[in-house]
Amino acid sequence: MSKQYSREEIYNKLAEILVDEFEISQDLVKPEANLFEDLELDSIDAVDLAVKLQFFTDKKISPENFKQIRTVDDVVNAIEELIK
Amino acid sequence: MLVTGSSRGIGRASALYLAKNGYDLVLHCNKNTKMANDLKDEIVSLGRKARVLQFDISNREECKNVLSEDIEKNGLYYGVVLNAGIAKDNVFPVMEDREWDSVLNTNLGGFYNVLKPLVMEMISQRMKGRIITMSSVSGLMGNRGQVNYSASKAGIIGATKALAQELAKRGITVNCIAPGCIETDMTSELPVDEVKKMIPMKRFGKPQEVASLVNYLMSEDAAYITGQVISVNGGLYQ
Repeated sequence: MSKQYSREEIYNKLAEILVDEFEISQDLVKPEANLFEDLELDSIDAVDLAVKLQFFTDKKISPENFKQIRTVDDVVNAIEELIK
Repeated sequence: MLVTGSSRGIGRASALYLAKNGYDLVLHCNKNTKMANDLKDEIVSLGRKARVLQFDISNREECKNVLSEDIEKNGLYYGVVLNAGIAKDNVFPVMEDREWDSVLNTNLGGFYNVLKPLVMEMISQRMKGRIITMSSVSGLMGNRGQVNYSASKAGIIGATKALAQELAKRGITVNCIAPGCIETDMTSELPVDEVKKMIPMKRFGKPQEVASLVNYLMSEDAAYITGQVISVNGGLYQ
């Protein structure tokens, strides 16, 4: 079973990945930031992000789970849903 | 550096050229293990490291298994030269199914089969790198008796340009070399004197003359070149 993470823990880890791995400036990472427009990620980054977020779950995260995702908050919601 | 089809021809010359310029090599062959191992010994004697991988680039499963295992054990390659390819010439009206299928599955399928296990790993590990594909003058101008080969080599150009766009911001360049008539086993059956008349330089190219471009495209100096098709053909097609 996956470890339970709080919403805050998920957000903080996600922010850390975006800053450290995707070299996005800390000031830009906000819950409402759009991954593609504000953070300038592309669809390949989204796949890569899905891979890196496997940190949270024992399950493989399929890029399909990420189809509807637009904002940082959407990612947090998706992870929350996945590890329920 | 991985160079596919490095037991002979342009692949062999490229591997040697890269080794002489200080790169360690991962050699690849389909059947010619003896020749690949001889090349490995030659590269080792130059003071570089080399190992040989054997797989059929038209076999997706085999590519995935061998390459995934190799990069897990030895780390990712900085450069990949997709050189391996085959020709099964025949005029189109009498071309056999297997001649069409094997050439497309090897030359164009090989692009997918070899790169697929490597590219996401390169992205994920934030690796800069170099991918060089091998097209042909036949892929640019079309060549009688080579509908299959020309199609596969033109396909490689499209695939190269598209992948170059996807990988550009990640510092991975993807370029294509389109050799003309080069002195290799693949061109040994050609009517040399007839063909020479069509080449403005009136001679065949040497494998080293392609290898030197491979070496340049691998270098840091070539970091801003991506998505290009560069011909090495003595002026045969412009």
